[in-house]
Amino acid sequence: MRNNSLANDIGTQYYATQLGIYDEMYANKVKVLPYWERFMAALDSMGTENLELRRREAQRLLRENGVTYNVYGDSQNLTRPWRLDPVPLLISSEEWVVIESGLKQRAELLDLILKDIYGKQTLLKKGLLPPELVYSHEGFLHPCLGALQKQKRHLTIYSANLARGPSGRMWVLDDRAQAPSGSGYALENRTVMTRVLPDIFRQTQVHRLSGFFKSLHKGLVDIAPHKKEDPRIVILTPGPLNETYFEHAYLAAYLGYTLVQGGDLTVRDGKVWLKSLSGLQAVDVILRRVDDSFCDPLALRSESKLGIAGLLEAVRRGNVAIANPLGSSVLENPALMAFLPRLARYFLNDDLKLPSIATWWCGQSRERDFVLQHLDSLVVKPINRGYGNHAVFGGSLSSKEKERLRSQIIAKPHLFIGQEQVSFSTLPALIDNKIEPRNAVLRNFVVASGHDYEVMPGGLTRVARQKDNFIVSNQAGGISKDTWVLASEPDKPVTLWTQPRRNQLIDAETDALTSRAADNLFWVGRHLERTEAVTRLMRVILVKYREVFEFKDQHDEACLHVLLRTLTQVTGTYPGFIKCDEQFIKVPDTELISLVKDVFRRGTLTANVQAFFQAAFSIRDLWSQDTWRSVDNIQRRWQQRISNVDLTIEQLPSHLDDLMTGIVAFTGLTSESMTREASWLMLDSGRRIERALALISVLRSTLASRHEEVLQTQVLEAVLVVTDSLTIYQRRYRSYIQLPLVLELLLLDDAHPRSLAYQLQQLCIHIGALPRSKRKGQLSAEERLILKACTDLRLCNVQELTQVNEDDGVYQKFEELMSNTTDLLWQTSELIAEAYFSHSQTSQLMVLNTAEDEL
Amino acid sequence: MKYRITHSTLYDYSQSVGLCQNEARLQPRNFWRQQAHSSHFEITPSPTDFNERTDFFGNRVTYFAVQKPHTKLLVTVISEVTIFPKQNGLDLFNSMTWEQVVQILQTNFSLNSQAGFSEQQSQSQSQSQSQSQSQSQSQSQSQSQSQSTEYAYEILDARQYVLDSPMVSVSAELAEYARLSFEPNRALVDVVYDLMARIYKDFTYDPTFTTIATPLIEVLRFRRGVCQDFAHLAIGCLRSFGIAARYVSGYVETMPEPGKSRLVGADASHAWFSVYIPAIGWMDFDPTNNKVPHDQHITLAWGRDFSDVTPLKGIAFGGGQHTLSVSVDVLRLA
Repeated sequence: MRNNSLANDIGTQYYATQLGIYDEMYANKVKVLPYWERFMAALDSMGTENLELRRREAQRLLRENGVTYNVYGDSQNLTRPWRLDPVPLLISSEEWVVIESGLKQRAELLDLILKDIYGKQTLLKKGLLPPELVYSHEGFLHPCLGALQKQKRHLTIYSANLARGPSGRMWVLDDRAQAPSGSGYALENRTVMTRVLPDIFRQTQVHRLSGFFKSLHKGLVDIAPHKKEDPRIVILTPGPLNETYFEHAYLAAYLGYTLVQGGDLTVRDGKVWLKSLSGLQAVDVILRRVDDSFCDPLALRSESKLGIAGLLEAVRRGNVAIANPLGSSVLENPALMAFLPRLARYFLNDDLKLPSIATWWCGQSRERDFVLQHLDSLVVKPINRGYGNHAVFGGSLSSKEKERLRSQIIAKPHLFIGQEQVSFSTLPALIDNKIEPRNAVLRNFVVASGHDYEVMPGGLTRVARQKDNFIVSNQAGGISKDTWVLASEPDKPVTLWTQPRRNQLIDAETDALTSRAADNLFWVGRHLERTEAVTRLMRVILVKYREVFEFKDQHDEACLHVLLRTLTQVTGTYPGFIKCDEQFIKVPDTELISLVKDVFRRGTLTANVQAFFQAAFSIRDLWSQDTWRSVDNIQRRWQQRISNVDLTIEQLPSHLDDLMTGIVAFTGLTSESMTREASWLMLDSGRRIERALALISVLRSTLASRHEEVLQTQVLEAVLVVTDSLTIYQRRYRSYIQLPLVLELLLLDDAHPRSLAYQLQQLCIHIGALPRSKRKGQLSAEERLILKACTDLRLCNVQELTQVNEDDGVYQKFEELMSNTTDLLWQTSELIAEAYFSHSQTSQLMVLNTAEDEL
Repeated sequence: MKYRITHSTLYDYSQSVGLCQNEARLQPRNFWRQQAHSSHFEITPSPTDFNERTDFFGNRVTYFAVQKPHTKLLVTVISEVTIFPKQNGLDLFNSMTWEQVVQILQTNFSLNSQAGFSEQQSQSQSQSQSQSQSQSQSQSQSQSQSQSTEYAYEILDARQYVLDSPMVSVSAELAEYARLSFEPNRALVDVVYDLMARIYKDFTYDPTFTTIATPLIEVLRFRRGVCQDFAHLAIGCLRSFGIAARYVSGYVETMPEPGKSRLVGADASHAWFSVYIPAIGWMDFDPTNNKVPHDQHITLAWGRDFSDVTPLKGIAFGGGQHTLSVSVDVLRLA
């Protein structure tokens, strides 16, 4: 233990480094390194309280920007907030030079190995790599042999986890070569840090990160086939359930690429196409975040639902480039680390500048025996990562477990490695208002761009939450940090915009909205509108309920019952109030609360809010910052309010008002910030269809049957409130409240944005404007349907609609019109899905199950 | 012996398929025992995209896509092949023991096998004492070391067939079953012969029992399966003792019963296995028929197991339910 000479109230005087462990602030010396001292002094002058405030502010920003990290197997609480510690890792410019050149060299080496393994296989033929090491790694994909295309470099993106050992040297812990994640998180961390510690950041000269992303873009353009100048680049994601989905969406938005899932792409004529609303559009480069073996169900894993059948064929023909190429996960084989020094000499005639952590591959008899003899002091890892395959610390095993491991190694030695157990360096971290040492791992990012590899000057630093813990990962709940590489002079800001050459005219990109995104937009519209309709109805019900309670008027009560039954209709939560005993409807509290709160019941507010959020999250990349904030706001505030265990009827009105405010904010933002292109048409079509359906549902349930006069007046008034039309009605028709007038306003008045006529008219316009291969002069099926609905409505008159059938007291014509319009709307919705959401078409694998024989 | 093989696969869908992509390994490959004179596809509806290549294992692969709506897809391949009855009887008397073969397969001869170890920047103690053991290894193989590089590459290539593959993972159970055949110092050829005969005797041919998804361990437990299972089983047994074995897909000529005329289309796809024996090469064995293929087995493709050589697989978009029917006709021409 050693005490710090700095005295401040952050608690650095209690900063207790551990004997034998390298600490970043001290670097094995007695005194704190000068640049750390400056930084800590700045923190010190800020004070504990202030620092804690800044930390919270950082958390708030991250949360609002929707920075999340999904944890596998946790579908209930899918997104976990990203945690950022405001104390960064500082790296001096002298040291950075070493790290940078080491990473470049390593990327270069791995690139050559990749090229050889899938090309000439000289390394195998010369005995520089044993075939067992290559072939028994699941990352070696047989179909990819010979599939690498003519590119200067094949390993476009590379990432390594580094840690500092006790001697102060940086070690590479592992190599990430297939679809490295983290660069987006690093960028977001930086963005937040510059906002919460602007003063310190300004005083410290820190290298900027944006240059790296510019290089990434250039690197991706470089590999585009046929030297296309302005290639279409897409990011292929496994979808919103993936752990780093936030980053996929974030990078897509930041770099201006289309975010796609496998179903959004198709292979035709040996080329890759994006299925967009306006037809197929050629794709040149895929930035891949799907594991390679899942990328093509025809050539690779047939059970994969994340890939594109025929993708590898398109690669072989040189029609698409993938970063990183399919098969590159073979480089993530940890056994390779044992061979890198030799391969560095073979390929580069040089020694490794950044050593790997000492690794013994058990596929060689001497190494195997060594590992078996030293099980207690080594970490044993299977070469294939995967379910149930993880690293074990030999020393922490029981003797029984150790015996099992030993026999596993002996049975298939080539599948295991032993690694030295290294204690990583510590660095200061803000933990519970105190600065404490924590073990850290640094992830760096490298990209091939132009003639060289380029390293992001910075990276993603992560520390374990617990003390003395060497397992530092996000799945295990680690905390992230920004990484500040100190510059000798200030960096100039780099803009991501490319400068057009003089007089070059740039074509505006047509809106490449994928059909999946269109589908989600449509449902964002529908779910939100449904939420709004239910909220409005419920607010009116609660007011009425209160009146019944206070005045005990029988008409109030009858009206309340009509509204409650309507609620069941609108939410589709049968039998609800429609078939129930008297007590159930007299004391509706339980059912009302359930309709607000239940997560697992279809039609409840919570279920609708969840569905809205899921659909919006699936297209995270399409929303503007502000819009996303409002999405997040709706979901989070609702969650906070209703997760209260003893939710009572009395609390509901304020919760519902709050929800309405959120909805209105989203609606306002979207209508102000979205261009009137395909995205908007989809979102608003969903909204209009749902609004029309909800309106019809309310009207049918409240007004289709005749009520006696006093009740009728009450019901009509309630309907006007529910549809937000009371003020307009009063202004227009003064004090008379009559069924024909109400119907005139709510059904036929196409100037009233809440009327049925308005919804249908908008739908007519939207559907007509959707891109589609039309025959001249011919309407599409969905256009015909919606036109019919529109026309039917316009052809009816209020007098006819309000003719009551004296036998059963039903407004026959009205009921018919409503029922027909509902059918037409549902059919329209289905046709839209069929025509535009083609990704929903499922694929099937056709293979003869057994090779039957007759003998 | 010359044959004409007609292999047809018909997919029948309940709903229209808008796009289907397929990969076929249906054209016989050429090698020392076999020459394919001609082999061509007839596909209806005709594919918009059609491309041929050679895969990792040297098999002929065809990619084709039908990009217009269809409810039926008929894929027919007609091939003419000559089989040379060259698998000579002498090979069956090869006396190299299985232990010797294992040793050969376990040794790197092009360079020493210690690559990597001395490279460690390890702070731990280095291991120099076990040098003697590996020296004795290199002596025992000194005779093979003088062989040509081609032979070295052949062995290098064979080594991948000792490893687990997607459908064949070696286990204690497999080793247990195989042990009876692996008597000490027995010639590998005899071991394989014995293993083939035991599988033929112990296992019941039962097409209703297994599907492609049935794990090997169940085949072993219930002692039932089809040609594919028996091939996988034999491969697993051999690999569990460190022997290189691979999977062969193809056809076998069926002879009509005496007095009956030959039924066209009654034949079927078949599968067997092959074992690597240094200095001889790869030798085929058919455990379903307890026979060493001579001139009635026509080879399509080989790989680590069935998953590498699936004769025809495809991904169809849409289609609803599908039924699939296959007919194979092996006609002896001369």
